[in-house]
Amino acid sequence: MDIIFSVVLIIAGIGLFAMIGADPAAAASPTELGAAFWPQIILAIMIVLSVVNIVTSLKKMKADGKTVTSDIDVAGFFKSKLFIGMIAVAILALVLPTIGFVPACILFLIGYGILLKADNIPKLAIISVLITIVIYILFQGALDIMLPRGTGFFRELALTFEKILPF
Amino acid sequence: MFDLIVTGFSIVFAPATFLFIVGGTIIGVIFGAMPGVSASMAVALALPFAYAMKPIVAIAFLVSVYCASITGGGITAILFKIPGTPSSAPTTFDGYPMAQRGEAGKALGYSLIASAFGGLVAAFAMALISPQLAAVALKFGPSELFAVSFLGLSVLSCLDSDNIVKTLISGCIGLLLACIGMDPMLGIARFTFGSSTLLGGIEMIPVMIGLFAVTEVLKQTNKQKKIDVEKDSTTKDGDTSAKLPSFKELWDTKWTMIRASILGTVVGILPGAGATIASFLSYAIEKKVSKHPELLGTGIPDGIVASEAANNGATGGAMVPLLSLGIPGGNAAAIMMTALVIQGVQVGPLLIKQQPEYLASVFASMFVTNIVMVIVSMGIARVFAKILSVPYSILGPVIVILATIGAYATNNNTGDVVLMVGAGIIGYLFSKLKYNSAALVLGLVLGQMCESNFRRAYTLTNGSIIAIFSKPITFVIVAACVIMLVYPFVKPLVSKKKAA
Repeated sequence: MDIIFSVVLIIAGIGLFAMIGADPAAAASPTELGAAFWPQIILAIMIVLSVVNIVTSLKKMKADGKTVTSDIDVAGFFKSKLFIGMIAVAILALVLPTIGFVPACILFLIGYGILLKADNIPKLAIISVLITIVIYILFQGALDIMLPRGTGFFRELALTFEKILPF
Repeated sequence: MFDLIVTGFSIVFAPATFLFIVGGTIIGVIFGAMPGVSASMAVALALPFAYAMKPIVAIAFLVSVYCASITGGGITAILFKIPGTPSSAPTTFDGYPMAQRGEAGKALGYSLIASAFGGLVAAFAMALISPQLAAVALKFGPSELFAVSFLGLSVLSCLDSDNIVKTLISGCIGLLLACIGMDPMLGIARFTFGSSTLLGGIEMIPVMIGLFAVTEVLKQTNKQKKIDVEKDSTTKDGDTSAKLPSFKELWDTKWTMIRASILGTVVGILPGAGATIASFLSYAIEKKVSKHPELLGTGIPDGIVASEAANNGATGGAMVPLLSLGIPGGNAAAIMMTALVIQGVQVGPLLIKQQPEYLASVFASMFVTNIVMVIVSMGIARVFAKILSVPYSILGPVIVILATIGAYATNNNTGDVVLMVGAGIIGYLFSKLKYNSAALVLGLVLGQMCESNFRRAYTLTNGSIIAIFSKPITFVIVAACVIMLVYPFVKPLVSKKKAA
């Protein structure tokens, strides 16, 4: 996995190096280093270090008698709680602009709570709603942070909540 | 000097002003502890109250909010690995592991005492040598500022001595992320792939929150049984209250505290630097000079002290150019200046000479705030610490929700939440492959400062690299950086030779 990541870094690094170098606006002048100078230096260092890392890893792998793919368990990863957790957090970020903060927060708290094996689901649901109310009043009301409202029906719902707020 | 102190205390100990300062401290600590509410945002939120006050009381009140919010940021950094303010990010490196070991109270104690000490050192520096410090700050041109930021980057070679190459690669990734968006000198789009969203660059706060808070929740999701066992031992100890460390324990960190406070004050004065760079730089230097650098990051008091004393030191430093020259060194200082200007106060080099009571008021307010803050923060931290006993099936998702708000509130943009999640997942991958998230953040924080000042210096010297490095301050700092960078590679060779 380590070697694969380093290879990805090298390929991406070479691509970005070429891309920024090909931009004529980023070229240097006698008294200006140009927009390409700094990123190209960093990319060059990163590529060299990644090559060093691959060589070191290969040596270590040979000594341990492992192969490039021996530490990778793709099927196990997709079945793991970690993968579901990553998906849950990604879904939260993606649905936030559509369904708004309040529904997204309640659903996430319940969903992730179940993933983390909460003992009592009805109790978890009640706690999730209460936590959402406290967070909403604190941030949207007291601190005046405009939390995402969502679109359509969810936006109307959010506007109704905002009218109820005491602040 | 004595007159200044007497004037300052006579202002802040007027009953109404004192109450405002205590209120400002409470508001500041709470706001600072909230993810997504930065120190400058806390000052901005307190601004409407200041309009109703006399200018001299208003500045004392706003200073109390500012200082306390920087301290408040350390509370959530230690307890939940969510830096309340970006300047508290290095506090998570040692504070969170201590909390996980059941020493949350002690970690909070170190954080509060170091914050107060840093703030007091900065307050005295500001009151005693404000004009001199401002004059020194004016000597720091682009080449010197480049050297300072390079000094911060030089720590990359020793952040994790077991994985130097991977740590350096992580730092390079951070530096590359800092390149995304408009080029700081010419405004040319770099690595934006045609996206207008990326033109503004990569926001630091969502990346930090993702790398620290979201990654941690993902890790605990993967090993939930273990965390529940750890939590039991934490609550059994009953050590989740803000118990202060003993005098002896504090005495052991005296040099770190003094070093970080002075460094924080100096960095706070430099334009464009501020509390975040101060705390990272201080942590970096601590890693270099510590007798046991390998323990930093595993949960030792020195790491907390280095970060918190420096970021609070920077609060006093930031007030120096504001009061001496009328130049706000950072966002929070700019907001405070606005409050004064709106009330008709002429902020500029003549302010200290013609109306010294403003300097006196700011000094006394910082002095009182840094003492009151310890008491207030202990109370608030105790409430926050109770949350640690909540089952992780509830606490974990709540941390993600608070992190989401923290990332979103930066620009009121849901795109920043997506960035935070991406950073969280990358952070997990980093921890699995033994790359270094702290190095990535260090690169991201210092990248633009390093690049823009180097390029500015190059232009100012008409393209002469020798002229950049021959400036005395720059030469000394860069030479020290090179030694620090090369030392970890040379050290094993020297040891081998000796052994042979």
